[in-house]
Amino acid sequence: MDASESYVSLFQQIRIMLFSSELIKGTLKTIVLKLLADNKRMYGYEITQKVKELTRDRILITEGALYPTLHALEADGLVVTELEYIGKRVRKHYKLTPSGKSKTKEKVSELIEFMQTMHVLLDINLQTN
Amino acid sequence: MYTLSDDQVEFILKDIQQKGIYTEDLQQNLLDHICCILETEMKADDDFESVYAIVLQRFYKNELLEIEQETQDLLTFKNFYFMKKVMLLSGLSTAGTFMLGSVCKVMHWPGASFFFVLAIGLLSFLFLPLLFLLKQKELKSLQEKLVLLSGVLVGMLYTVAVLASVMHWTMAKSGTYWLLMIGFSFFVFIPLYFFNGIRKPESKINTILVTCLMVIFMSLQFLMVSLKPDIQKQITAIEAKQ
Repeated sequence: MDASESYVSLFQQIRIMLFSSELIKGTLKTIVLKLLADNKRMYGYEITQKVKELTRDRILITEGALYPTLHALEADGLVVTELEYIGKRVRKHYKLTPSGKSKTKEKVSELIEFMQTMHVLLDINLQTN
Repeated sequence: MYTLSDDQVEFILKDIQQKGIYTEDLQQNLLDHICCILETEMKADDDFESVYAIVLQRFYKNELLEIEQETQDLLTFKNFYFMKKVMLLSGLSTAGTFMLGSVCKVMHWPGASFFFVLAIGLLSFLFLPLLFLLKQKELKSLQEKLVLLSGVLVGMLYTVAVLASVMHWTMAKSGTYWLLMIGFSFFVFIPLYFFNGIRKPESKINTILVTCLMVIFMSLQFLMVSLKPDIQKQITAIEAKQ
């Protein structure tokens, strides 16, 4: 399974509707870490576009949620930045640290387990209804 | 693809700074992000300022400052989480150390005093201050924070008074530490607690009950401290007669 297939599989399991910003917020850290794990280094705009493309516009990451998350990941030592100077502006590329790589595995398996549990839970609810 | 001029880039940077983004890293990130969107979506004949104003609106619900606040909150939360962990650990260590000290005391093993001093030190100077720092963030008014602060001070004075008695410190013989704690409770903490809670209809009865219990407890503590020297004097007198 290549990277894009694994994303589609991951996002298909999430099944987030476009309007569920609360759900996206809860999984945003995992999404960003997973993207960085497979793309070596990425900058903010690139991350939003990649998610948009992979989920066929079903998940739109807002800048208001993305940058606080990236800064928190950096403060946690899970990502480091590389600067690229483009004229008068600076582009910050984010990439995972070794602890970020292990955290990504942990977060992805946690999310998958959570989704499986939710699936069982919702099925039970449907049966009782 | 449209290419932004240096003046336009500077214009955006100044604008986001004015709109409350003061963290330099965040300024750089937002500047690059806005530039990327503009360069992708703008056409040569579009008006820069009007397109920029539309693009910027995507970044927030009410105002751009939200991103700065959210970032600061997340970074503070990280410290908050760490402090909470330390507080829980210090609480557990205090309980464990107290138990060890008690076992040593009962079994007449050496080290009881060491464990008691350590436990009281952990409780007074780590657990209680952290408890105050973490809890005060949840409180909105200054009065509530003052109640919490005075409560924590009473707790610290109480533990120091216990330590002074156990360790037979000079001033402890006259009950100074106890009287200081009781005095502070009667004249500062309890009145603050009472007048803060009584004003709120939802906590009125609870406040009266807790205040009564605290006054009773402090009175009993006062009786114990103030009578103790008399009892000791009587015992000494009886022993002298015998």
